[in-house]
Parts: sequence; C-alpha cells; structure tokens
Amino acid sequence: MNKRIRKRRRERNCQTRGGRLQPGCEGHLSDLGRGQKAIVLDFHNDNPALRRRLLDMGITKGVVIEIKKVAPLGDPVDILLRGYELCIRKKDMQSIDIRVIE
Amino acid sequence: MIIALVGNQNSGKTTLFNALTGTNQKVGNWPGVTIERKEGFIIGTNIKIVDLPGIYSLSPYSAEEEISRQFVMDEKPDLIINIVDATSLERSLYLTTQLLELDSDVIIALNMSDALERSGISIDLEKLSEKFDTSIVSISAKKNKGIDDLVQIIKKKKYKKNTQRQIFDAKIEKFIKEIVQTLNIPHKRFSAIKMIEKDRDYLLLLSDEQNIKINELEKVFDMDGEQLIADQRYQYISRCKEACVTQVHKGETITDKLDRIFLHKYFAIPIFIIVMGLVYFLSVGLMGGLTVEFVEALFDGSTTINIFNNEVAFEIKGLGPWVAEMLEGLGASAWSISLVVDGMIAGFGAVSSFLPQLVILFLCLALLETTGYMSRITFFLDKIFRRFGLSGKSLIPFIVGSGCSVPGILATRTIEDEDERKMTIMLTPFVPCSAKLPIIAIFASYFFTHLAWIVTLSLYLLAIIVIFVSALFLKRFFYKSANSTYISELPPYHIPSGKYVLRDVFDKTWAFVKNAGTIIILCSVGVWFLASFTWGFKYIDGVTLHIDQSILASIGNGLAWLFYPMLGGNWSWGATVSAIQGLIAKEQVVSSLEVIAGLEGSGKTLFESGLFSFFNNWNAYAFMIFNLFSAPCIAAIAAMKKELGSAKTMLKAILFQTGIAWLLASIVGVIGWIIV
Repeated sequence: MNKRIRKRRRERNCQTRGGRLQPGCEGHLSDLGRGQKAIVLDFHNDNPALRRRLLDMGITKGVVIEIKKVAPLGDPVDILLRGYELCIRKKDMQSIDIRVIE
Repeated sequence: MIIALVGNQNSGKTTLFNALTGTNQKVGNWPGVTIERKEGFIIGTNIKIVDLPGIYSLSPYSAEEEISRQFVMDEKPDLIINIVDATSLERSLYLTTQLLELDSDVIIALNMSDALERSGISIDLEKLSEKFDTSIVSISAKKNKGIDDLVQIIKKKKYKKNTQRQIFDAKIEKFIKEIVQTLNIPHKRFSAIKMIEKDRDYLLLLSDEQNIKINELEKVFDMDGEQLIADQRYQYISRCKEACVTQVHKGETITDKLDRIFLHKYFAIPIFIIVMGLVYFLSVGLMGGLTVEFVEALFDGSTTINIFNNEVAFEIKGLGPWVAEMLEGLGASAWSISLVVDGMIAGFGAVSSFLPQLVILFLCLALLETTGYMSRITFFLDKIFRRFGLSGKSLIPFIVGSGCSVPGILATRTIEDEDERKMTIMLTPFVPCSAKLPIIAIFASYFFTHLAWIVTLSLYLLAIIVIFVSALFLKRFFYKSANSTYISELPPYHIPSGKYVLRDVFDKTWAFVKNAGTIIILCSVGVWFLASFTWGFKYIDGVTLHIDQSILASIGNGLAWLFYPMLGGNWSWGATVSAIQGLIAKEQVVSSLEVIAGLEGSGKTLFESGLFSFFNNWNAYAFMIFNLFSAPCIAAIAAMKKELGSAKTMLKAILFQTGIAWLLASIVGVIGWIIV
C-alpha cells in the first residue's frame, strides 16, 4: 500500500513545502500538519475491530478531516470531522488514504 | 415499564438519570464515567430506568460497551431514551439510526441545548423528528431544563411508535426487506443489516444466495458491506443535518483557546507537573502541616502543637485522657479503660488525624475529573505510556486510584485492549492511595521533618518508576498484545458544578470516616486484645507481665524474619503484625502501630516507644516502600479478582506486587543496615 501511495505521489509530482503536503496531493492522514484539511479516499487496516470503530466514528470515504490539535509530543492527534473532534494515534492514521484540500 | 438510557460517552446520560430519579450517581467530564448499568425509578412512578455505559454503535469495542449492547438487544426495554449530544450531532445520530432498527420504541433527548445556542447552531426539531419518524425532546440535563416535558411524554405514552424508518438506498432497502422475510429472530431489521455487513455473529444466518447478492451490492457501490452500511447511515444523517440545522458562526471556542495553553508544545508537560504537584502540595503539604497535630491533640491532649515546624501553644485535655478519667471516676477496671482508650480511641484517632488533608485531596481529584483536564492528560501522555505497553487511558485509573484503588480498578473498563486493561488493573494498586497517605505522612514527618515533602514526592516518583518497570516486565513476558489503539475524545472544558463536586467529596470522605469508625475500630480492638493478653488469657498490666509475652507478639515473632532485612537487621514483631494488617485496610497499619506503642507505654509518641525506637531514616523509608507497593487491601483485591475475571491471575498479580515491594524495601533496608 505504501508503495502505491508513493507512486501516486510521484505521478502527480507533488510538492511538499516545509515538510507539508500541498493541496491536490495524495498521501496518508498521518502526513498532514496542524490546520490542514483532506478528503478520505479509502482505508486499509489489518485490525477488523479498529476498522469497525473508525467506520462507526464516521471515517468513511469522502468525509473531510481537519487536523485540529496535536499532542505536545507529536502524537496522538485531535482531528475534526462531521462537526465533532476525535483523538487518534498517528499509527492508525497511516491506514487512512487522503487527498489534501488545503 | 423499563426504560434504557442510551447514548455516546460523555453525552450526559448519568446527569439525566440523576435528574429523572432524584439520585446522586457519580458524574464526570471524561468519556467512560459510567461502567456499570445502574437502575432507578422515575420520581413518583414505578417506571424503571436503567443508566448504561456510553456507546458509539451497537458493535461494542470495550468491556463496558458490551454491557450496553447486551441490555438493549437481549432485555428489550419497552422504551429507549437516546441521549443525543447536540454539539456532536452527526456522530450521535449514527447510534440513533441503529437504535431505530431495534424492536423497542425510541425517544431522542437532545441534550446540551444551552451549549448549542452559545455556539450559534440552531436545530429545527420538528423537521428532525419527521426525518427520523420519532419523538424528540430538547433538554439540558445539567440545568434541569426540559426534564418535566420528557417525564410527561413518557408517563402519558405520547411518544411515537418505532416505525423503523427506511434510510438506506432503495436497492439496499429492497434487499433488507427480502432478508427480513426469511428471519425468525428478534430485531429483524437490525439483524438483516448486520448480515449485509457480514458481521461475524450473523454469518451463519446468511444463505449462499444472499451472499452472492451482497457481493453484487458491494460491486455496485464499490465498497464492502461494512463500509457501505456505515457510509449510507452517515449520508442520510448528513442530508438530515443540511435540512434541519443552521449554523450562524463558528469562531474559536473557549475550549480551543484553553487547549492552546494546556496542550501547548512546550508548556503542556510543565503545566501538568505543576498541577499534579499543586494537588499534593495543597493536600499533604499545606493542609497536612496545618491540621495533623491539631486533630491528634483533640484525641490525645497536649499543651503545644507543631504547625509548619512552629511550636504553638494549644492547651487541650483530649478525648482519650478525658474518657479515661471519666471511666476511672465510674470505677471501671484497668483493662476496660485500656480497651476504650488504648484500643478504640487510639485506633480511630490515628486515622482521623489525616482526614482534613484527604478532603483536600478528594476535592482536587474531583476538580481534575469534572473540568475536563484529566482527558487532556491522557491525550498528551499517551505517547509515553504506549512505550510501556499501556495507553494514555491507563492514566485515568491511576489518577482515580490515588484516591482509592477500587474505583481506579473499575475505571480500567474503558481500555479497549484486553492486555492493556489487565496490566493497568495490576499496576493501579501501586499508586499510593489515600489510605496509604497516613503511613507516608507519619513516617515522613517524624524522620525527615522539614524534608518530608521531598520524601513524599520521592515515593510518588518511585511509584511511577515501579509502574513503568513492571509494565515493561509484564509486556515482555506475559502480555505481548500488538493491537493497542487509542481512540478518544477531548471533552469541552466545564466550570465544575459545585453540587456534584461537593457531593463527590462528601461521599469519599464519608466512606473514609465510616471505614475508620467500623473496620479500623474493630481491628484496633482486635489488636488491643491480642496485645493485652497472653496465650493463657492473663491481662498484661505492664508490671508483672510485658507486652512481649502477648499473643500478638508471638504471632509477629513467627513472621518477623520476613521483615528482618527491610528493617535493617531489626527483629520487630510490632512492625510485622502492623504491616500485615495493611491487607485489611492500609490505614490500619498506622492504627496498629499506635495501639501497640500506646500499650507498651514507655514513650509519649509512637517512635519514642521501646518497641519502635529502632526506626531510623533508612528502615523507615524501606517500611514505607513495603506498605506502598505490597498487596493492596482486601477491597482492592476483590475488585482485581472481579475485573481480571480469574482468582489465579489475581493471586499471581498479588504475589508479583508483594514480591516487588519486598525486594525494593529489603534493598533499601540492607543499604541502611550497612551504612548506619
């Protein structure tokens, strides 16, 4: 999966500025910085219980997610989606594919 | 009639439960305060209402969520009151869509309507009610608004019947109808949808033909069944929201502003350390320094007391001497006076002198819980805790456990991962609870005087180190789980409700007093008896017979070898029997020491008594370590057994705890033995 995303990124010739993915780029939710917004494309997860939980919490295809707050040690992250906030670890954000909006 | 209260975590179910039933169940401002179902009756009726732990969906994720799912599925309440948190409407309604698929009727109680107005959102209730084809009542559980309307609707049964409104795409709905016709179980619509999701529990019901059809559906929508259903639910909710909700403005909230400080990249951790330091400074340092000798004087009598290391004149006779004189005047025998004064009053007094500082500790903990700060701590310490095989959520049991291990152990139910949960249960008793505080206080203040606070702090730090090292050990050898996750929420900051904070503090304080007034007095009388009589039941008067010949002494002598190293090569039956009594209640250690010292009768204070004069800085520290980390009290052991689900695991955990305690204490004791 990682390879696929990296390939996609190359194809679109995505730029990162200051380590940040620019709008239009594709990557994982974990790649985003504070204040960035992205749309969920898909997700892949080996842990069925976690996958179920994320679906229940409203992380479905097409939903827009904003990075709201980051813990002082850089992980976990507080994200805004569907009008509410959710804390999630970076490791679990890696399994969510996104395209950056802003 | 039975009603279930169902809703997301931290949506205010228990606050509503208290308002409806007039009871005082504990509420807090973090997800997962309620971990068991609680029952009550709506005031003035025989309508039974059941408060359940918060859930996000009917696919449970953790132990306490399973309780809720089981109740609504298996016990089929007549009515479900679905509390919807108006400030996170979409996610709350997701659960609503599932509840409406069950056979029970559903009323939506739209909670926190006051918070809504502040954030500039307005909801068209009539339209929303139409969309879900169910009754909606707007309430504010905290401010007691709309509760009467809700009760009236329930009493007069004026709520809509559940019509199991169709919310999915026509293709899916058609298929659901087909499946429903083949089913012969309760909750048909819900089950049919679960089958489309290919939920493990419903796979057996699925025919090959249906399976093929689901595969077709998955192809049409380009998603697997599970995703498809979740997506469809949220799509419906989004459409409803668009039609029913208008949003005026949405600037930065107060919570966001506060989080800029409390979750600041560099300031967060120092602020956390200051906050926790303040909690213990205010309770143990300030309140303790101010009141311990004062309360002691009330029981023992004195001419001066020591406040912050200053001698202050304080003439009082004290309860003990006063009662002794009175009994003497009545012509009571020497042993009966000793029973009351040296047994009951000394035992009760030893523990009560710590009450003022515990009240402050309970108050601080209640504030941490209700303001919303505790959830922030779990959030920013998760990364550290994860390295040790725990999750940030383990911190809630630890902080609650610094009041009492029992609710701390129960609070582990919010931890999703079974291994993380078991480890947290085993480690929570290492946190010095309020009953262990008297042990620390009495030794630290006598042997380390003005450095007592550093010693106290060092013990808390040691507890943290012991917890982390034990966690690494347990993770390495017993619990190798790899599925750890952390999914949680940061609740908005609240100004704590004075009523609930006071109630919480009062409940905990009362529990402590009750314990001191019953178990501690009873045990102290037991200790008094065993220390006052020989095996031949001769009363030890201190003249012809000595306390060393008592029953208690011979019991202690049988086990004193265990404590020999940690006491720095001192053979003490008194310290031995006192430490063992920590199993009954940790504060009993102090009571027992005081009773024994008082009976021995050679010195005024505990450590001037001939039996305990061997204590020095080193073995005092070692003795504190042992009492802090060894097996917890019987109540906590029972809680461990219940939550670990097996007596064997519980026994292993206790042996593990006592082993570590003995080893650490012995190391410190032996070092002191060599040096001094």
